Amino acid sequence: MTPERLYEVLTRYAASVGNELNQDKPYVLDLLRGLLTNEERYGYRSCPCRLGSGIKERDKDIVCPCVYKDLDVKEYGSCYCSLYVSREWNEGSLPHRMVPERRPTGAHD
Amino acid sequence: MGSGTKTVRFYALSTCPVCKKVKLYLDGHAVSYAYVEVDRLEGGEQWLASQEVRKHNPAGSYPTVVIEEVITGHDEEGLKRALGLA
Repeated sequence: MTPERLYEVLTRYAASVGNELNQDKPYVLDLLRGLLTNEERYGYRSCPCRLGSGIKERDKDIVCPCVYKDLDVKEYGSCYCSLYVSREWNEGSLPHRMVPERRPTGAHD
Repeated sequence: MGSGTKTVRFYALSTCPVCKKVKLYLDGHAVSYAYVEVDRLEGGEQWLASQEVRKHNPAGSYPTVVIEEVITGHDEEGLKRALGLA
C-alpha cells in the first residue's frame, strides 16, 4: 500500500461516513506515511499522532479511524490529527483550533 | 549554566506531521533543543521518555516541548521575566 493509494481509499471512506479528508494534501500524505509506518511496525494502523504501545488490545481505541474521531469532528470539525474533517472545517467556516486529546490519561500505560 | 539560560527539550513522534511543523518553527528561529523521537526508542527507554512527557503534560500528547529557565542568585528582574510577574 502506498500513501497515494491509501489517500484514494480513505477519500472514499470519508465521503461514505459524511466526513472529508483535510484538503491540505501534502499534510495528509505525511499523516498516511505515518499510518503506514505504524502498520509496518505494529501490524495495525495506529494513530500517527499518538504513541502506540504495540499491543493491539491496548491500542484498539486509537486504531485509525480512532473511536474519538466522530466526537471530535462533531465538536471541533476535525479529528485529533486533522485527517478527517467536516466540510465546514475544510471551507474555513470553522476555526482550525488544536483538538485536545480526548483519550483518557494512562489509557495505554 | 548562567542565569536566564533556557533549556529546551522537544518530545516528538517520527510519524506525526504536527511534530514536523513545530520542528520547522524551532529550527526557523535557530532554537537549540534536545530532540527525542519517542516512538523510535526501544522498550525501557521509550517508557522512560513517555513518563517524562507525562510528568510535564499529563495527557501524554505529542509534540511536547519543555522549556526550562535557570535563574541564579537574587535576580528579581530575571524572576519577574521568567514568571511573567508584574
